Amino acid sequence: MNSQMKKQMNSHTLRITADNQPTVMEKLLQVARYRGFIVTGMTMFPEEKDQLSIELSVKSDNSIEHLQYQLHKLIDINSICVNNNATKQNLA
Amino acid sequence: MSSKQTKTGAALVFEVLQQHDVKHVFGYPGGAIMPIYDALYDSEVKHFLCRHEQGAAFAAIGYARASGKVGVCLATSGPGATNLITGLADAMSDSIPIVAITGQVSTKAMGSDAFQEVDIIGLSLACTKHNFQVRHVNELAEVLTQAFDIALSGRQGPVLVDIPKDIQMAQVEQTLALVSANKKDDEAIAPANVGSALALLSQAKRPILYVGGGVGMANAVHELRSFMHTTGIPSVATLKGLGAIDVDDECYLGMLGMHGTKAANLAVQESDLLIAVGARFDDRVTGKLAEFAPNAKVIHFDIDQAEISKRRLVDAAIMGDLKVNLPALAIPLTIENWRQRCKQLAHDYANDYTYLGKGIYAPAVLREISDTIRQQNRAEQTVITTDVGQHQMWAAQHMQFSQPCNFLTSGGQGAMGFGLPAAIGAQVSRTHDSVIAICGDGSFMMNVQELGTIKRYQLPVKIVLIDNSKLGMVRQWQQLFFEERYSETDLSDNPDFVALAQAFNIKAKLITEKSQISEAINDMLTHQGAYLLQVKIDAFDNVWPLVPPETANDKMIEKVN
Repeated sequence: MNSQMKKQMNSHTLRITADNQPTVMEKLLQVARYRGFIVTGMTMFPEEKDQLSIELSVKSDNSIEHLQYQLHKLIDINSICVNNNATKQNLA
Repeated sequence: MSSKQTKTGAALVFEVLQQHDVKHVFGYPGGAIMPIYDALYDSEVKHFLCRHEQGAAFAAIGYARASGKVGVCLATSGPGATNLITGLADAMSDSIPIVAITGQVSTKAMGSDAFQEVDIIGLSLACTKHNFQVRHVNELAEVLTQAFDIALSGRQGPVLVDIPKDIQMAQVEQTLALVSANKKDDEAIAPANVGSALALLSQAKRPILYVGGGVGMANAVHELRSFMHTTGIPSVATLKGLGAIDVDDECYLGMLGMHGTKAANLAVQESDLLIAVGARFDDRVTGKLAEFAPNAKVIHFDIDQAEISKRRLVDAAIMGDLKVNLPALAIPLTIENWRQRCKQLAHDYANDYTYLGKGIYAPAVLREISDTIRQQNRAEQTVITTDVGQHQMWAAQHMQFSQPCNFLTSGGQGAMGFGLPAAIGAQVSRTHDSVIAICGDGSFMMNVQELGTIKRYQLPVKIVLIDNSKLGMVRQWQQLFFEERYSETDLSDNPDFVALAQAFNIKAKLITEKSQISEAINDMLTHQGAYLLQVKIDAFDNVWPLVPPETANDKMIEKVN
């Protein structure tokens, strides 16, 4: 019943498009950190129409779905796509 | 051909504020915001000069919470802006729509560690719904318009707009009135899970309505009460939900949680269906989360997807507007045995206000104030604000409110110093209504300078100062959990509060005995103008019940001698 049940540390990759505003990266990283996600990799490049394309790899015990909902509330973020990399954990 | 008219960015600020029906702002001038204050001089917007920017921020919050409008506060750069941070965090935690406008050093000086320069955008990123820094005067009007839209849309919250001084002074061509458009279109709301929720409702034998601050914020008090009338479901309220439920409802069990009523907490623990309406399973409410409402399925009404199953997994989520969703689920239920059980709980654990001795018992005073207001049919026209601590919990437990917008208290942050400036903001927004700030002696000192604002604008705010000469709630916890090691909670060197109030031309009285209470309350309520009633209570009075940390709500401590 409790959503804070113990989970294995999972890795995820988020593909995000956002408005190209000065505070977008800072806010994205702040939310990820605050919600208990460690950033393991990041790429970012501008695209046409003043957009940013961001790929962010994170790991955490917490639910990626909840991070997605929190990021979705950010004004400058337009789309978020989550690619579960759970299998990455097992290969290594 | 006439030349195009221009105006300054600063003048444009007030034009946009007026477009958004802003009539009052709270603030404090300074170097980097001087052009805006110069434009204010000619504007019809009325400015309330507070004596600390934190006071201005809390006043904007009180204004917003009492009226449903966006609260606006102004501050200069550097320390002016940083002094807003506590207010922004408070508005963020409690989802209050405010727009904070800060001056900033000129764009040419930014990033050079200039005088009174601070990166307020960086600092406020974590405690605002969004923030903006205006980079060119041509975007000023649109940015401000977006700020209002964001503050008011969806889950409401604070927005900061930082305006460099040179942009305030820059000339901009006359702009047409902007039609405000949401930057983010309202998301297509997922079809409400009405079907499964209805099934859960009709099967439930012991349902409880768990009502939070979202009801008032959605303007859905009427729909909630109608839902309750149709379904007959017994109810409990959070701190911010107080006032949403009709206090005369026979199956209303009062506040739940850490200092909730025994009846409310027991009923929730016995329930088989918890219907959360505009509430977020906050830790002050749930106690030990794993043991909260252990036998209940959950229906959760909310506007913020991120709150669904954040702390407690739900069985049915109903996203969107309560005004639409509550009526969709209002079906009559056959739960008479459960209703009788709840009425019995309410009866068995009803409060008793009789007490021995000559001294004053704060819950009784607060209850008497509340009863007097109700007897005079003034409940709808009276706003109560509180500070934070024991007095706040006593106000929540023992006073009765007719609407959520009539009880303003810092919930999520529990910010001491909230009560007095919030009362100022509430009074400004509701000129003809009565406003009473319930303060503790510790909290009162935190924004005591705002007595100057009351004096300046002759605001008829009443202050009830519950004085135990202690940092009471902390002292109580030290008694219960830190072996009575009373570290830094003694405030017995407080100033003479009556003399302090009188120094601001505010009528004041001190009472120390039970026999003085009724007359003092009457004097305060009938006095035309501001009034401070200092009420001395025993330093070791405690708030009961109390659910200790990591404990289920039904294992509350009821009293410790």
